[in-house]
Amino acid sequence: MIFPATFLVFLFGIFPVGFALYVSVNKWRLKRTGFIGMENYTDAIGSLAYVALFGLAVGSLIFAYLQFKKIREQANEYNERPWHLALPGAALALAVASFVRWTVLLLPEVLGIADKIVGQEKTAELFRRLLGEAFRAAGVLPAFWLTMGLLGAGILLEEIFRRTWRNKRNLGYQAQFSILFLAVGIGVLLFWFTYTEASLAYLEAIETGTDTDIWAQIITISSGVLLFVLAWFVWRSAKRAESDRGFIFKLLAAVMMLGGGWLLIAELPIVIAAGDKDVWSGLVITVFYSLGTVPFQLAISLFLAILLFQKLRGSEALRMLFFLPYVTPAVASAAVFKQIFGARQQSLINQLFLALGLEPQRWLQEPNGVFGLIAESMGMDLPGWMAGPSLALVVIMIYSIWVYVGYDTVIYLAGLGNISQELIEAAEIDGAGRWQVFRNIIFPLLSPTTYFLSLIAIIGTFKAFNHIWIMRHELSVGSVNTFSITIFLEFFEKVRYGYASALAFVLFAIILGLTLLNNRIQGSRVFYG
Amino acid sequence: MAEQALLGSRRAVGSRRASWRIILSRAVTYFFLIGGALIAVLPFIWMISTSFKTIGEAQGVRFFPTQLRFENYVEAWNEADFAEYFINSVVVTLITLAGRLSFSILAAYGFARIRFPGRDLIFSIFLSTMMIPAMVMIIPNFLTVTWLGRIGPIKWINNWPALTVPFMGSVFDIFLLRQFFAQIPDELFDAAQIDGAGHFLFLRRVALPLSKAPVLVIVVLAFIGSWNALAWPMLVTNSPDWRPISVGLMQFVEEAGQMTNLMMAGAVITIVPILVLYFFTQKQFTASIARSGLKG
Repeated sequence: MIFPATFLVFLFGIFPVGFALYVSVNKWRLKRTGFIGMENYTDAIGSLAYVALFGLAVGSLIFAYLQFKKIREQANEYNERPWHLALPGAALALAVASFVRWTVLLLPEVLGIADKIVGQEKTAELFRRLLGEAFRAAGVLPAFWLTMGLLGAGILLEEIFRRTWRNKRNLGYQAQFSILFLAVGIGVLLFWFTYTEASLAYLEAIETGTDTDIWAQIITISSGVLLFVLAWFVWRSAKRAESDRGFIFKLLAAVMMLGGGWLLIAELPIVIAAGDKDVWSGLVITVFYSLGTVPFQLAISLFLAILLFQKLRGSEALRMLFFLPYVTPAVASAAVFKQIFGARQQSLINQLFLALGLEPQRWLQEPNGVFGLIAESMGMDLPGWMAGPSLALVVIMIYSIWVYVGYDTVIYLAGLGNISQELIEAAEIDGAGRWQVFRNIIFPLLSPTTYFLSLIAIIGTFKAFNHIWIMRHELSVGSVNTFSITIFLEFFEKVRYGYASALAFVLFAIILGLTLLNNRIQGSRVFYG
Repeated sequence: MAEQALLGSRRAVGSRRASWRIILSRAVTYFFLIGGALIAVLPFIWMISTSFKTIGEAQGVRFFPTQLRFENYVEAWNEADFAEYFINSVVVTLITLAGRLSFSILAAYGFARIRFPGRDLIFSIFLSTMMIPAMVMIIPNFLTVTWLGRIGPIKWINNWPALTVPFMGSVFDIFLLRQFFAQIPDELFDAAQIDGAGHFLFLRRVALPLSKAPVLVIVVLAFIGSWNALAWPMLVTNSPDWRPISVGLMQFVEEAGQMTNLMMAGAVITIVPILVLYFFTQKQFTASIARSGLKG
């Protein structure tokens, strides 16, 4: 029953992640031309790629250690000795690793079938023959038998130990051991991979005589990040300690923070300069886009939701109107905005500007920063880095706010509906004014909703594609190319599949990091009533 | 709601000054609400008004046309190929919807009510894929679809399979439906089994009729998702034969230049089916959005 959907989710939802990872470590423009390791990543973000991989390796080993501690605690708690179960666990972990190796070897062979089949009549028999050849190709078959052997050994050991030590936690231990060994394996492998990749790049840099401070960069940035993490831990323990020691801890954390910050500030610009300019500008533009949409969108929709919540006559109809932009196909509404915010003198927005006695603008075709334009109209001259997001990006921000206010309002209304009226009435009887009720009761009680909406909205700005694609104009010269647009351009126009895949993983890492960060920061402040 | 009314009446019986303040605050509230609604609707009004203008008027500064040119719609429909795009979109949406709905219902039922080894593991792996951004998937999926088209007996690129099949397995649908199926009491199933009904019969006669609301939500979300898709159809279609309306409109926006009136007529044509669907399912739709906070 679950087969069709499971198969499709696997083929178009799970397998692509591994496939994309595979594509991203290859030189791949339309066709695969060979394994190049981390080059796509280092092209994009410079030595940061090594740091990220190094961090991943460390994280994997820490996870393995925590897993080990969990097993030990469980064993102590029940007074058991499950250590021999590590054997089947290891065998299964090796089997999984070997399976991955087999698929990696098999994949290019299977992909190659499409080339072999060209010019021949496509029959099921021919396909079966070619598929068989792919499975029997050099290296693939031994890998397959190795996987099978390891799997068999794992199952055999598992059966033996299950019979000899009858315990209901037996299988749980085995699974935990497999995860432990997998984490260790991944960690060690990543260490080795990072090291060889960085060494190779270092040797190449020496040969070509370009900049040779890869190792220095890796070490400085890693220690900078490490200092930040340590500072965070120290700060947290300072909160729990008594006042004197807490103060010293806080001081220590501040010093660490300064040190880490100094290291990063000194080194990051160099690394960023070594990376892809489009990638960094895409990142900066996306951050501008987030900052320019999310707060306004949330503030406006909270305001509207509170007004709508009074259940006035016609509030149902109004809510429906607010929601209209959200359900409208983005292509159509973005096309409308593109015309309304046109650069011509006769466009609706420029007519409005003329009526207000303001200078007509070029809107979606304006690559210059909005603060710079405002300063210019007042006769000042701002330096380039203060010019802010381009006017074209501001139009896209306005569009996003227009679209998402309705959605946020509906969610806020649901949140308001969950606040108990008695609380508000009690406060009113005690003489609290409207603003005080809002500030001290409604807003804190809505914080889970605000948290949810801000997370969704920030991630949404990183994923945003359709409306930006429609509204971008050549004359805005890349000033609206957010990270997603950059990826799509690399893929669609420059056909650099490997590079675009690597960028997509960078995006994935950013989104994942934002989610975790948001959980840490806001999760502790959200008030769940 | 009753509490609100109570609050209002308590205030109303207060002094005359208090009632003045209420009227004033009502007026301010309405001012902001109606102002907001106007901003929300203004682009739509402009779009509709422009779609009836002549080319000259569309380039000019008048907000409303002097005379309604219905010919714009005929022209957009026939000459700008919107008829073809529209039909393509309808076909693609219907195929996607049929596949997605039936596969999701089957899988959700399987995950909710049939026990098999590894069920929870598979389901949690499914759920974790919901976090992965579409940009990661788009390249490998494009390669997969190309490969399938080259080895298989039917074309995938520039044909219906590439546009529909990848969207037929939806984790979100399975997740949503599973919640509902899992809530059905076991006694109902036991009773059905005693009467000789198997899983399929139980699903059709008992489980589905009880889950009309989530099925409707899925239908609406699948419809909107398929109708709005842009990046993927752009990749896998390269001729008008299968180009859906979103891509058609995009190309028209890029190429039409001065013909703003036709462009807006095209935009109206693109929007109408979604709006009709929205107005008919408005209540359930907003309720489900408010509950789950997710869009397909």
